[in-house]
Amino acid sequence: MDTTSMFGGAVAGSLALDRLVFAAEKAPTRSATNEDPIEARAIAAVKGGDAAAYEYLVSKYTKRLVSIAWGIVRNPADAEDLAQDAFVKAFEHISRFKTGEPFGPWIYRIVTNLALDVMKHRKRFRHEEITDQAPGERRDRADLPALANELAERIDRGIEALPEMQRIVARLYLVDEFGHSEIAKMLGLSEGTVRSHLSLARSKLKQNLADLHGGSND
Amino acid sequence: MIENDDFLERLRTDARLLRFEPDAAMSTRIAARVRERIAAEAQAGIAQVLARWFRPVVVSLATLAVVAALGVQWVDRPGDPSTVTLDSQTSMQSVDISLGGDTFSVD
Repeated sequence: MDTTSMFGGAVAGSLALDRLVFAAEKAPTRSATNEDPIEARAIAAVKGGDAAAYEYLVSKYTKRLVSIAWGIVRNPADAEDLAQDAFVKAFEHISRFKTGEPFGPWIYRIVTNLALDVMKHRKRFRHEEITDQAPGERRDRADLPALANELAERIDRGIEALPEMQRIVARLYLVDEFGHSEIAKMLGLSEGTVRSHLSLARSKLKQNLADLHGGSND
Repeated sequence: MIENDDFLERLRTDARLLRFEPDAAMSTRIAARVRERIAAEAQAGIAQVLARWFRPVVVSLATLAVVAALGVQWVDRPGDPSTVTLDSQTSMQSVDISLGGDTFSVD
């Protein structure tokens, strides 16, 4: 499926640029080099008009993007849509992406912000489908087979009971295993703010999960 | 603090199980839809590029056509009485002079 010639003109993309994409470009990068040579070549090819090369990036980042999005919106259909939107948005603005930098942080930030927009939209229009349920039950259990594990379920419930930003930061740190600076970039916050959210989340989780991971009396 | 960090690290190990893993069908669907949407974007992109090039050309041609039409109309217009000079007007009209009860007409 060679769509090269067809996609050549699309790289420039729409002029309606997303503020978050700009912010991601401006954000200082911790690791300034792309350690995956295939990824670097794919990005260069996409920038050169070879849209088919984008397939590599899609296949490499799909799982992570869906996981990040799901962690925020807690709905598999929305997470799937958000992953798609993030890939399309990144493709549209690929010409602005700095060659040689890792693609991951950039697209993680895009999907995170799209997911946060969905949350804002839900709040504004009260579209939370299951608001009458307890926060820890806000998902279809069939979506997460790992929850058969009682321990994981307890942790999930504990994370979901946190206030929104603490929940998002905790999930990105604990579940998706991002570092403080990565989370800061993804959420457009300072690293100090991320540490603060995480510290508050940690205190609450420690209380709630005292029996699982040691005492809570410190 | 160290204890707390240990707590988070242990939690991190267990929480790894909570990561949502899309199944193969979802991954395939995402890849297919991204491909489809990018193709649609490309079509729109080509149309936009063409529009960006052709729009000024069309505007220029339209302006030229209007100017040309106005020019032709101005050249072909019938004589306008308002443009007749005082000299030509007086030469076309006779002047009547009354003198001693008699009226003389001077062309």
